[in-house]
Amino acid sequence: MITLATIFVVIAAILCLAALLALLGIGHLGLSGPDALARDGLARGQPAPAWTLEDSAGVPHSCPPSRPLQLIVFADHSLKSFPSVVTGLRALLADEDLEIVILTRGPAGHAEPVLHQLGLAGVPVLTGSPASYGRCNVRVMPFAIFVDSAGRVRASSLVNHDWQLAKLRQVAAIPVGADEVAGRRRKPAMAG
Amino acid sequence: MTAVALACKAVVAVLLVAAGGAKLADLPGFAASVRLFLPGTAARRLDGRAAPRLDRGVALGIAAGEITAGAASLSSPRANWLNLVVLAICCGFVAVSAAGYRWHRGRSCRCFGALSRRRFNLAGLGRSMLIALGAGVATAPVRAVLIQLGPADRIGLLAGALLVAGAAFSAAAAVGAGRGSQDAQPGWA
Repeated sequence: MITLATIFVVIAAILCLAALLALLGIGHLGLSGPDALARDGLARGQPAPAWTLEDSAGVPHSCPPSRPLQLIVFADHSLKSFPSVVTGLRALLADEDLEIVILTRGPAGHAEPVLHQLGLAGVPVLTGSPASYGRCNVRVMPFAIFVDSAGRVRASSLVNHDWQLAKLRQVAAIPVGADEVAGRRRKPAMAG
Repeated sequence: MTAVALACKAVVAVLLVAAGGAKLADLPGFAASVRLFLPGTAARRLDGRAAPRLDRGVALGIAAGEITAGAASLSSPRANWLNLVVLAICCGFVAVSAAGYRWHRGRSCRCFGALSRRRFNLAGLGRSMLIALGAGVATAPVRAVLIQLGPADRIGLLAGALLVAGAAFSAAAAVGAGRGSQDAQPGWA
């Protein structure tokens, strides 16, 4: 015999299950949906957070950079897992107008030998704070942000391949337009 | 009628638990909404450091209270007094929605933390009145003997409620506040 208590338990269980499924779906969309990827990083034309950090040799590096462009690569984990990104970074090393820095929240001393093995010796590794990641809206890595000498973001995106870095570099070479400076959010949809 | 009352009770309880869990994931955001309703005199009496703590404390209390009330209502359907507590909470929502509609129209209510972008508007007021209506229907008297749950059922429903709260917390963190958080410990070694 079906009692009221049974009906209540069944209704409650179905509701809990439905809520769980809906919330899992919302959470998944929140992490991997187009909106989630689009909001990562900083909009083109937006002022980049200013900072000055020293590398392990005590050499200060700043944003905005002294060179025309700066590429900030957020990488908490070894770039060994991203050989295509390493290839893309190597290709950019010869770029005279570009300063490449790698930002990590771990000790810079751990990253430098790895970079040496990967053919990226000499690329400064800076230890950033979690707040700096938050200010740049970085939650997935490796993440690249190009900043010009005026401190404006030229391009930013998650990067998984060398062609993404090359495409971002092309976008970064284009000066920021007046409408973009005004704050319109135009980011190249590169991630994926 | 009894089955409808019990269904309303379960719906409102799950809503409360989910809303509380989502609010917990974005306490600073919800605290900003709470600040809209704190008396100005209370804020003025506090120095700059204490005021945010008060906002956060109230926000934390509301979120935790919602989870507690929802989970208790779901796992203890015999306790009629809980129906009245839930109804009082829902009436509070109606009052806040009405006040928000009157004085802070268009501002984000953060009723479901980052899960919802709802704002104080007429539709929001209608929704809170609908929830309060559900809570009101749930107060319909049900003979305790008809709704007696065993310990296993109660524990199961309590676990279900906590799972919903946890899922709401995670989903809200993923949607809004999770931007700066990372799952794994950073390391190159």
